[in-house]
Amino acid sequence: MNPFEHVRIALDALAASKVRAFLTMLGVIIGVASVIMLVAIGEGAKTYIRTELMGIGTNLLIIVPGKTETSGAGHMPSSIRKLTISDMRALEKRTTLIRVMAAAVVSNAAVKYQNRLRNVQIVGTDQNFEAVRNLHAEIGAFISRSDVDARRRVAVLGRTVRTELFGETNPLGRMIKIGETKFRVIGIMEKKGVTLGMDIDDHVFIPVETAQEIFDQDGLTNILAQVINESEIERAKEQIRLMLTERHGEEDFTVVSQQAMLATMQGILSTFTYVLGGIASISLLVGGIGIMNIMLVSVRERTREIGLRKAIGASKRDILLQFIIESVALSVVGGIIGILFGAGVAYGAKAIFPVIPVDVTAWSVTMAFTFAFLVGAFFGIYPAVKAARLNPIEALRYE
Amino acid sequence: MITGTSPLIQLAGITKVFVTGSLHYEVLKNINLQVQRGEYVALTGASGSGKSTLLNIMGCLDVPTSGHYYLESDEVSTKTDTELAHIRNRFFGFVFQSFNLLGRYTVAENVALPMVYGGLGRKERLEKAKVLLARVGLEKFTGHYPAELSGGMQQRVAIARALANNPAVLFADEPTGNLDSKTGMEIITLFGQLNMDGTTLIVVTHDARVAQHARRMLVLADGSIMTDQTSRMDVSVSSGEAPA
Repeated sequence: MNPFEHVRIALDALAASKVRAFLTMLGVIIGVASVIMLVAIGEGAKTYIRTELMGIGTNLLIIVPGKTETSGAGHMPSSIRKLTISDMRALEKRTTLIRVMAAAVVSNAAVKYQNRLRNVQIVGTDQNFEAVRNLHAEIGAFISRSDVDARRRVAVLGRTVRTELFGETNPLGRMIKIGETKFRVIGIMEKKGVTLGMDIDDHVFIPVETAQEIFDQDGLTNILAQVINESEIERAKEQIRLMLTERHGEEDFTVVSQQAMLATMQGILSTFTYVLGGIASISLLVGGIGIMNIMLVSVRERTREIGLRKAIGASKRDILLQFIIESVALSVVGGIIGILFGAGVAYGAKAIFPVIPVDVTAWSVTMAFTFAFLVGAFFGIYPAVKAARLNPIEALRYE
Repeated sequence: MITGTSPLIQLAGITKVFVTGSLHYEVLKNINLQVQRGEYVALTGASGSGKSTLLNIMGCLDVPTSGHYYLESDEVSTKTDTELAHIRNRFFGFVFQSFNLLGRYTVAENVALPMVYGGLGRKERLEKAKVLLARVGLEKFTGHYPAELSGGMQQRVAIARALANNPAVLFADEPTGNLDSKTGMEIITLFGQLNMDGTTLIVVTHDARVAQHARRMLVLADGSIMTDQTSRMDVSVSSGEAPA
């Protein structure tokens, strides 16, 4: 018998009770839609993190003091041995794979202009910061080499700091106070916005050695390095590791690549996505049980039909296929509606709230669809076997 | 396959035992029977005499406990479920007391149903269904649904369906049981015509009128064939039937 006939028989049976078929599908629709929506959010977050993290610069290596167990964004120092500017100078002289390096000292301080006060993050750095971080002064100038060397008290303001402290006034050349120390404003940064929860515009940049002086530190918070070739990031990382280990006598620092940070964060988000998808899949499973339930009722209701079909020449296989196709059709159609509905809600939410990162991926659609199909096939087996095994005589006598 | 000389159906030493727990109930005892092509056989007997079981075995809906069943000299009792399904589809047509039409299909689609399992395309089988419906006088009702038809008409649809694959034998189990006497008579007349046209009929019935029309009458009692008469029956024979 032509398999197409089985499909037609199954679809005819479903069409005969449309409301029931729809209600049965609802479980699968909700299950698949939630898988699609939740995975879309998880994947959207991953894409968001990637763009944001790549936005802080390209081919970036970050050297932080203290040895951490694993690579990644967070670090837990086990021994405090400082990273110094001379460490960086030594690396600059010897590395062959690094284009440029920048030192950074990061601290919090109150910034004051006349009677306005604002607590901001102060970044002590040098002239290479612009290139490494892909952050530029838009008005005036960024910190120069001579500013660093002469330990000048000059500051470059982020956009938010500028607006909050000066309003409409032109801040260039004006004096501000960072803590108790006076600084001259020499530049304004371009507008950058929030990256990874950090408002770059709410920073003040000063020369690194000046920062060490006013914060009374001789170490660095981190050293940023830009690798020349993307393909040599790992080699550059190793080179730095060997050179610094040699200088320090032990490996008391960590070199983290942007990729590694990305990988860690993506890893966390993937787990998050899988967990959400997994929870949503449970509802898909419940939908499958709903299908099985209805199919069992349907087999019982159609006992005489099954008996008749057997009498006029349907084999066990024919009956089995008829009922399995019915349950698969329920789950597959439910799956398709669920995918459309889930993707619709996800993109609808994005259209209304563009902040929500949403990304409906092919793999989640494929997975949800396949899973729906398997649910239908699996939960359809038992009712179908039951139908196929019916004795035609008893089935025909069934009241 | 069709040799012409061998009987269409030959039963040799057929028994059927139903086992319910520790109870063994012998429904058929050593049945030996031959049915030739073109016969019109009425199968009567008290309820519980085994006539329906015998019909089911001959129609390959049931398998005997022991004995041999030859359909056109072909041993049937050893065949698999799929083979039996194929035989039912190709050789037999069934008419039941309660018509067993599928309500979601039109009359024509119901008639075409056996051809679905026979592998005929949709267009062909609906064409053929129309011809069959014309044969039972229902050509005007092809697009109707069974629920829109009277009981007698529904049974005629069922008969058209039973004829779908040009069966060698048409089995009927109490075909007039759910009909009033007038419509029952129409069905009996239709059976007579079908038999005249060459269809072999085996009918289980309580209806004396069916028995009258049949050319051969088998009376079963306690799982054995009591009477086997191949002539027009005397009405008195039906008095041997116990009311169910």
